[in-house]
Amino acid sequence: MPQHDLERIIKGAKKGDHDCFSQLVDIYAKRCFGYFFRLTGNRHSSEDLLSQLFVKLVEKIGTYKGGNFDSWLFAMASNVFHDYLRFKHRQTRLLEEHSRRIELEPVHVESPDGDELDKLQDALSKLDSDVREIIIMRFYSQLPFKEMAQIRREPIGTTLSKVHRGLRKLRELME
Amino acid sequence: MDKQGNENLSELLARFMNEQDARQAADDIEKGDKLLSRYPAHEPGEEALARIKGRVAQALNQRHAIGIRRRVWAVAAAAAVVLLASALTLKLFERQPTPTERARYASVIPASVWDGNDIKTDDVDIAVMVAEIETIENELFALNLDDDGGNGNGAVGDLEIELMEVGGDFWKG
Repeated sequence: MPQHDLERIIKGAKKGDHDCFSQLVDIYAKRCFGYFFRLTGNRHSSEDLLSQLFVKLVEKIGTYKGGNFDSWLFAMASNVFHDYLRFKHRQTRLLEEHSRRIELEPVHVESPDGDELDKLQDALSKLDSDVREIIIMRFYSQLPFKEMAQIRREPIGTTLSKVHRGLRKLRELME
Repeated sequence: MDKQGNENLSELLARFMNEQDARQAADDIEKGDKLLSRYPAHEPGEEALARIKGRVAQALNQRHAIGIRRRVWAVAAAAAVVLLASALTLKLFERQPTPTERARYASVIPASVWDGNDIKTDDVDIAVMVAEIETIENELFALNLDDDGGNGNGAVGDLEIELMEVGGDFWKG
C-alpha cells in the first residue's frame, strides 16, 4: 500500500472515522494475527488478542505522532501480548492455589487447540521466550533491525545477535 | 519484506563482527526467514474479523460518548468556577464597611474635634481642659486632707459641678 494512502487512513482514524478503522483492520489483521498465533499457538487467544489490539488502537490513536506506524502498532501488540501473559500467569497461580486447597494435583493449563500446532510452532516453543518473541515480531512486523531495537529499547547489536542465534537454533531444531 | 529489504544486513552485521562472520550471520538470518515463510501461520476467519470490526465500532461510539461527556463536564466545571467566583466577589463587597458606618462609630467623639482643621483652637481647648483637671486634682487633694475651710460638703458639691462643666465644655468643643 502506498505510504500516502496509509497516512490518509490514519488521519481519518484519528478523527474517529469508522471506515478508516475498518481499513486498518483489513491491512493489519493478518500480520498481527500471525504474530499472536505464533506466540500463543492458540487460535481463540489470538483472535481475542487481535480484538484487544484494535480496541486499544481506537483508544490510543490520538497518541500516534507520526513516524513508522507499523513500528508503533507492533510495539502496542507486544504490550497487549505481555498483558495477556501476566493474566495467564495470575490465572495459573489461582488454579494451582485452588487445586492445593481441594488436595488435588495441580492443574496443567494447556491450549485447547493444541492439534493446530505445526512443526514450526513446536520448534519455536523450544526457544527462549525473549528470543522467540523477537524472531516472531521481526518476521510479522517486517521491521528493520533499527526499528526492532528501538521498540525493545536495547542496542541494535543485541537485537541482531538474538535474532541470529535464534534463527540458527530454530533451523537446527527443524532439521 | 519490503521494509527489511531496504536495510543492508551484511553491512549492518559488519559493524559488530569481521567480514566473514558477518556474511555467515547474514546467510543464517536469510535461511531462517525462508524457513519461517514455509510455515505460514493461520489467518483470522471472516467471522472473527467481522466481530473485531464490530467491537472497534462499539469502542468508537464509546469514545465519542466519552468525548461529549468530557466536554459537558468541562463546561459545567467552568460554569461552577464562574458562579463560585461571582459569589465570593459579592460576599467580599458585602463585607467592606461603608463610609456611613465609619462616620457612625466616629460620632461618639465630638465631631468638632475630629473634623476641625483648626489645630490652634484645639490646642487652646486642650490647655484649658488640662488646667481644669489640675484644679480638680488640687481640690481632691485638699479634700483628702480635710482642708475645705470648714465646709466639706460644699467642696464636694463644687467638685461635682466643675466635673459636669468640664465634661460639657469638652464635648461641646
